Amino acid sequence: MHAIHVDNVTKIYRKGFRGVRVPAVTDLSFTVRRDAITGFVGPNGAGKTTTIKMIVGLAYPTSGRVMLYGRDAALPSSRCGVAYLSEQPCFYAHLTVGEMLRFTSGLIRLPQPAISGEVERVLGTVELGHCKKLRIKELSKGMQQRLSMAQALLGSPHTLILDEPMSGMDPPGRRLFRTLMDRLREEGKTLFFSTHVLDDVESVCDDVVVLQQGELTYSGQVRSLLERGFLGTDIRTGEVDEKCREALLSAGCRMHHHSETNEWTLFVPRDVEPGSVIRLLYEYRIVPESIVNRSMTLEELLYKQGLEEKR
Amino acid sequence: MNTVRMVAVNTFMETIRNKVLYNILLVAAVALLLSLSFGDLSVFSRAQVMVDFGLATMSLTGLLLAVFIGVGLLGVELSTRTVYGVLSRPVSRADFLVGKYCGLCATLLLNFVLIATLFFVSVCLMGVTTRIEVLYAVLLLSVEMALVVAASMFFSTFTTPTLAAIFTIGFYVAGHLNDLVNIGVEQQRNPVWRTLLQVLSYLLPNLEYFNIRTRVVYGLAIPDRFVMEATTYGMLYIALLMLLAIAVFDRKDL
Repeated sequence: MHAIHVDNVTKIYRKGFRGVRVPAVTDLSFTVRRDAITGFVGPNGAGKTTTIKMIVGLAYPTSGRVMLYGRDAALPSSRCGVAYLSEQPCFYAHLTVGEMLRFTSGLIRLPQPAISGEVERVLGTVELGHCKKLRIKELSKGMQQRLSMAQALLGSPHTLILDEPMSGMDPPGRRLFRTLMDRLREEGKTLFFSTHVLDDVESVCDDVVVLQQGELTYSGQVRSLLERGFLGTDIRTGEVDEKCREALLSAGCRMHHHSETNEWTLFVPRDVEPGSVIRLLYEYRIVPESIVNRSMTLEELLYKQGLEEKR
Repeated sequence: MNTVRMVAVNTFMETIRNKVLYNILLVAAVALLLSLSFGDLSVFSRAQVMVDFGLATMSLTGLLLAVFIGVGLLGVELSTRTVYGVLSRPVSRADFLVGKYCGLCATLLLNFVLIATLFFVSVCLMGVTTRIEVLYAVLLLSVEMALVVAASMFFSTFTTPTLAAIFTIGFYVAGHLNDLVNIGVEQQRNPVWRTLLQVLSYLLPNLEYFNIRTRVVYGLAIPDRFVMEATTYGMLYIALLMLLAIAVFDRKDL
């Protein structure tokens, strides 16, 4: 069973007095694996927040269905053990940090004797242990974001759904968040988070779901997507004689000479087997100095994909 | 039930930390103090003036509370998105709404208890004797205000706080004019208007049912049965409004 199953979902908002139809997502289908970290990417207005809202039961699909662990996401019981962190921290300003966390602990039905310990634990995790008695309105934005994370971690949920959790975070906050993600991965939690920062997806996520203009453009493993962006291999060598150069060119390589160092860079395109080029070099008694794969970054890849989609 | 209690306690804390509540209580205290001096100026007895003023103050503050705090509560939850933090948890929308309502009613009750205490203390200090019927009037006033709060909750589920406040005041005024609507039904000859007025009189609660101030002031008897019936009527209306509010809120995209 998948953690999240979005099945043929279309969401149309009706705006204004005349109820003009504004589609947010169209025929969206994807799944999120259990115990995996899945990034949810797309430009502004792609429908990420709407999709996340449907997953956590804050909005309903116009058609199609959204399932959380095999249960209709609109049912409150489907959200047991699931935590959601919204794009902007939203707290009751009249409460203190401790009161807010106690309130949330009550909502997720933590046993009364365990609440104090749990509040201390999550505050310690996000390095806000000293702020327990402060009013929420006295916290800075960054601290409020950490508090959001602490709120999401209450009761050790098995699934965390995060809507742009790192937007507007300062570098120490981002670092803390990345450390937390690593820890959650080690604990085998399921994480589904939307982001604009593709570096985070590339370095943290197992899977990625890509949305553009309310439609799915990719859903699958980050590795598979990066493999699509594999361009070829760069081989750096010393001096290459005339005969060898001819042989390499006829094998399909492209060559670039560095006149200052009298070195060569051979580019072996993805459709040419690098092993055969290396064997050829050895035949001419040339030892490669370095071999590096050349790939597009996820950002370049998604941008290119976006252009292809438009075409 | 636990989540209803949690939301209710949080709502209660939110309202008692709201400055508007203290302003309303200040208005009530000033009005009650004024009633002490008005008693000497009026042609009526001091007891009559004090009871009339006291009950009118409770009615006014209850309405202010229902409008300024009641309407704002749900609207603020939606505009500041604090509702996301609650409803993304295993909490049903019905529990959330009922919890908010109970929390607000608890504040309303506290408000009435404070004003009633102030009222009875000032009455005792002035050496005026009061009757048990005053307590009946306070009880029915509480039921009436609980009904107005339920209406404000219902309006807040589908419109903006400003419009919800206007609708709530309209509901209160129309509810007190329901007897006039019934007279209109009897006098209207046009069948279309007659039917429309009839529908309106059935839809709107008769809030005058809860207003026994005049009878209390003039020392008329109020049967226990009447108080029971009015309370039951109010409770049924509250249940109906809350069911409608839940039905609307349950379908709302947040």
